[in-house]
Amino acid sequence: MASASPTANNAATTPTKLKVKRFPPAQTPTNTYLTDEKGVWAWLTTVDHKKIGLMYLGAVAFFFALAGFLAIALRTELWTPAKTFIEADTYNQLFTLHGAMMVFFVLVPSIPAALGNFILPMQLGAKDVAFPRLNLASFYIYVFGAIFTFLSLANNGFDTGWTFYTPYSSDSNSAGIIWVTLGVFILGFSSILTGTNFITTIHKLRAPGISWDRLPLNVWALYATSIIQVLATPVLAITILLLAMENILDIGIFDPALGGDPVLYQHFFWFYSHPAVYIMIVPGFGIISEVITTFSKKTIFGYWAIALSSLAIAFIGFLVWGHHMFTSGQSAVATTIFSFLTFLVGIPTGIKIFNWVATLYRGSISMKTPMLYVFIFIFLFSIGGFTGIMLGALSVDIHLHDTYYVVAHFHYVMMGGTLIALLAGLHYWWPKMTGKMYNEPLAKIAAGFIFVGFNVTFLPQFIMGAQGMPRRYYNYIDQFTPFHQTSTIGSYILAVGFLIILYYLAHSLFKGKQAGPNPWNSRGLEWQSTSPPDFHNFSHTPVVIHGPYDYHQPMEEFQLGLAVEHGHGEEHAAADATSSEAVETATSETTEA
Amino acid sequence: MANHSATHPKHVHHHFVNSNQQFESAKLGMWVFLVNEILFFGGLFCAYIVFRAWYPELFTQAALELNTFWGAVNTVVLIGSSLTVAMAIRSAQNNQKRGLEINLLITILLACVFLVIKYFEYEHKLHLGIAPGSFWNPTPEIAAVLDHPKANIFFGIYYMMTAVHGLHVIIGIALMVWLYLRARKGHFNSEYYTPVEITGLYWHLVDLIWIFLFPLLYLIE
Amino acid sequence: MSEHHGHHIASAKQLWGIGIALLILTVLTVTVAGLGLPSPFDILSAMAIALTKAFLVAAFFMGLYWDTKFNSMLLIGALAFFILMVSITLLDTLYRDDVVPSF
Repeated sequence: MASASPTANNAATTPTKLKVKRFPPAQTPTNTYLTDEKGVWAWLTTVDHKKIGLMYLGAVAFFFALAGFLAIALRTELWTPAKTFIEADTYNQLFTLHGAMMVFFVLVPSIPAALGNFILPMQLGAKDVAFPRLNLASFYIYVFGAIFTFLSLANNGFDTGWTFYTPYSSDSNSAGIIWVTLGVFILGFSSILTGTNFITTIHKLRAPGISWDRLPLNVWALYATSIIQVLATPVLAITILLLAMENILDIGIFDPALGGDPVLYQHFFWFYSHPAVYIMIVPGFGIISEVITTFSKKTIFGYWAIALSSLAIAFIGFLVWGHHMFTSGQSAVATTIFSFLTFLVGIPTGIKIFNWVATLYRGSISMKTPMLYVFIFIFLFSIGGFTGIMLGALSVDIHLHDTYYVVAHFHYVMMGGTLIALLAGLHYWWPKMTGKMYNEPLAKIAAGFIFVGFNVTFLPQFIMGAQGMPRRYYNYIDQFTPFHQTSTIGSYILAVGFLIILYYLAHSLFKGKQAGPNPWNSRGLEWQSTSPPDFHNFSHTPVVIHGPYDYHQPMEEFQLGLAVEHGHGEEHAAADATSSEAVETATSETTEA
Repeated sequence: MANHSATHPKHVHHHFVNSNQQFESAKLGMWVFLVNEILFFGGLFCAYIVFRAWYPELFTQAALELNTFWGAVNTVVLIGSSLTVAMAIRSAQNNQKRGLEINLLITILLACVFLVIKYFEYEHKLHLGIAPGSFWNPTPEIAAVLDHPKANIFFGIYYMMTAVHGLHVIIGIALMVWLYLRARKGHFNSEYYTPVEITGLYWHLVDLIWIFLFPLLYLIE
Repeated sequence: MSEHHGHHIASAKQLWGIGIALLILTVLTVTVAGLGLPSPFDILSAMAIALTKAFLVAAFFMGLYWDTKFNSMLLIGALAFFILMVSITLLDTLYRDDVVPSF
């Protein structure tokens, strides 16, 4: 039976042998995480990372729909140069709310908290994240933050733009600002707790055999993201606190009328908000790596390049915030250095794109929906990234700052990047999470609507911006009317695409075909479990002897676990990941289940 | 297989392999949180540095209104509380229930002394009209000495930094009261004292922040 | 069931020793401040003493001296990013033509 298992962290002088055997996952599981805990109360009080991930997914989808609806309203208003159906003041509040909701309630939490929460422990072979109760707390903090933000709407609202620049935001007598800043402050803790949880989980809860060079790239991405979350979010918190105090008490740090410096506010704000965009996109990069390897049936090209480039982006991303402030009045020295560093931060991202494309070469490509989204991502994100570099050029930015060029740029990277990656991940892991397959032809049609709709919406905005159309403007001159109208039509096409997605995903929950454990034949560890997974993720302690993209190895060697009795036995027999040598010696003892 | 209660004690949560993995994870988690706290206070220190670099004479002038003696007393008080919380952890590690309780109580007491001194400091200043932001209204004697136009900004920074720090002290007291109550019920022993350890780490950070606040605010001559 | 490797137990003497050292350093920093050193030595000396005190607290009270290196790296990393935030912001604020438009 079970041979001696080394206690965790006890570096044995001779590698102890572990007996492993194969655990092929059942095709149709009877007890899953969905059936083991039932009822609304069970969901609301769960500490199971999978359920928490799904609750986050639901919340994110809800806020996305809400903010998306606002976007449709805004675009409809912009159909004509003057008032179409919204007042100017309301318009300002709407675009502020759209931005704040999308950034804070959708993009920042979406991939890490929704998909990451579900998938990360499974990719590590762990039973849960390190601090499951903190995980649930982070969800409720997120909900409270949202409630406070909405309370601001009942209190005069806020129309400062999502960036809350002073002195307008610190001068406003509206109580709305204070509510929303409180909401964002609270929300920040949710982000911090998720990051803390992930860092600890990745360091301490890996299954036997998962050494750092065998971590899935999705995990590397989440790791880099968590580091950014922990380092950057507190600076947002203190900035928001100072802003609220400035608003309530007139402290005077940011208000020039009181002797303060408004540019200092921008420094503090962007010190968080620039790394925040990397919080949004880096997890997306992780998803792309997973999907592109699975659907090319090939190992990733340049594993370490992609893994370390995530960390490089995290680091350099902290040094470039001033490129949002080129026209703010900051010193020429700072401006020049920020511009240079901004060009630098494009390099690790470029490395990823090259490596992904190289992964495709000589792969056996299967154009299922997740892969379709990967291609859409590479196309749209490259445009977004390039235009970002163009904005990083000082002389160019002087003309393009605060125009629609910037709006188009960030929609290409945020929506064309993060959101498309989220869709890729959602369609990739949907069978795992729900045990159901969705309607593939419909999914491809929806992807087509989204791709076409997105480009029709945002490509004209580049041209408008270059011709001088300012952002956040309610009125505009006649020469821009055709661009605005094209953009508005595009937004409706986009909306149709999302509605189709909502339809077939909901339909799959009730009428979808049963998905097997591994419909995509991936070598990832999360796929070596049932669909939906067991309450504890695996019925055994997984043992990993290959990298996650080793498509040249047979599937049997990815379905290994410690050969001990079921029940509590596995928990104690798990060894530290450093005993990978011990695991290799055991492969000769692998027996069929 | 070894029997359940011997290798899987009650305090070890289900997703952990053993007590040590849980302890090390908790410590790592707390250190990550402390990183977060350092950057949180870091924003305030950054504002301080920026304004002091712009208006050094303001800082020299305004600091005269801060009482160096009581600031130093508070420093000693916090250092003492750091010592006692470290002793509390030591008591837990050595299974000394009584020692743990006493050390926690002394730590709480010292933390309260800190807050009381702070309260009197604030009260004295507010009495003289040295208040943050729009409440800035110094008495004529003060205004004569402190005539820098940006004086309100120094005190805005002073109040923000000490108030945020004070809030962390209050949270620390609440945590340690909770620890004390659990210690009395016998929840902690040499096998399991994780909450004491990580609360101790938090408390040391509160001390660390003050170690920098004190010279930066009170010792500008 | 020895799971105590890594749980270093400091002796009371050690802890009191560090406590007393911190008290002495506090007295030192107040004394040095009273000397009225010319700028920038006043700030430098105060920060040097504060850093020494911080090191003692972090290494011996918080146990980093005996702990896994990674936790120390976290602390150092946080300080590194703080320094980056301050120094790059100063690149702006110290090199402006006009400090702030006054009213």
